[in-house]
Amino acid sequence: MNDEPKVHTQPLGLGPPLDFTTFMHKYQDMVFSTSARLVRNDAQAEDISQEVFIKAHEHFEMLSTSPTAGGWLKTVATNLSLNHLQRYRNRWKFFSEFTSSSDEDAPAVDFAAPDTFFEGVDSEERRAWVEEALSKLPDHQRVPLVLYHFEDIPYDEIARRLGVSLAKVKTDILRARAALAKILSRGGASLEATSR
Amino acid sequence: MNPQDQDKLEAAIHRVLRRLPDRKAPRSLEARVLAELGRRASLPWWRKSFAHWPSAVRGGFFVGSVLAAALVVAGLFILGRSPGANQLTSGISTSFAWLVVARDVVSASLYRVKAVIAEVPPLWLYGGGAALALCYAGAAAAGAAAYRALSFGRQPQ
Repeated sequence: MNDEPKVHTQPLGLGPPLDFTTFMHKYQDMVFSTSARLVRNDAQAEDISQEVFIKAHEHFEMLSTSPTAGGWLKTVATNLSLNHLQRYRNRWKFFSEFTSSSDEDAPAVDFAAPDTFFEGVDSEERRAWVEEALSKLPDHQRVPLVLYHFEDIPYDEIARRLGVSLAKVKTDILRARAALAKILSRGGASLEATSR
Repeated sequence: MNPQDQDKLEAAIHRVLRRLPDRKAPRSLEARVLAELGRRASLPWWRKSFAHWPSAVRGGFFVGSVLAAALVVAGLFILGRSPGANQLTSGISTSFAWLVVARDVVSASLYRVKAVIAEVPPLWLYGGGAALALCYAGAAAAGAAAYRALSFGRQPQ
């Protein structure tokens, strides 16, 4: 997999060039979040983020004035995280195919008022709960869910990059949403109860 | 779950996830990156990748490689035409005579295995193949069952 996408540059003088430390300050949270949500391990996410910024330093002349630097960093962080997961993925890839079935047997979830997840709950607590809920999902559900909802990668591209069937990606994402909604509903309810 | 519910769920989850702010990167990240960049910058050029070598050295390396390859080819050509070539060839053949013996042993073994298989009734062979296939399927099923058990154990409650 090519980890480094093309950098789009703009004519010189249109954007002020940044020094590398300022550049890092600007993007480090985004790079770390992208990686941490995929690999579910802060230490590994930090290692991957370090690698991303070292690659960025090699292309810094172009990135410092590029309007797409954020996208470039996000793509490299995603690719490196997927490469990292790939090393462990073969263990569950084969057998996880046995657990997937049709969309019809996806668990029913009560989400009568989805907009009211965490109604009245502090935003920091909400963030912590959603991150916690995401981390509870198994890899084969969390990874495609993150790629779809955070990285805006379409189903067929996710299937291609993970090397699984399109049907499996759709089923895993559907199940992940259902499981996430279930956890969030419970978490929101319990948080609301404790915040009163 | 019907398609309408699926669409509602997708939209709801999308909203919740996209409202999430970025996580704070560890404070140590910046120091680690700068330290690693410093370490790499302090390396001498010959310990960096070829792309970072000075262009004069890269050019010299290319010319040197071409010269070395030409010398090897010329040396082999001259050696092949020299009077001592036959003596050298026979010396090499003697050193690697064990390869001929090994080839004979392997071919004799294969001949005997083929002869034994030809004596075994075909039904026994099919039965053996079926038993192997059953064992493989059994091992795969046990692995899948174990995975399902562990996987369901990890599902969020």
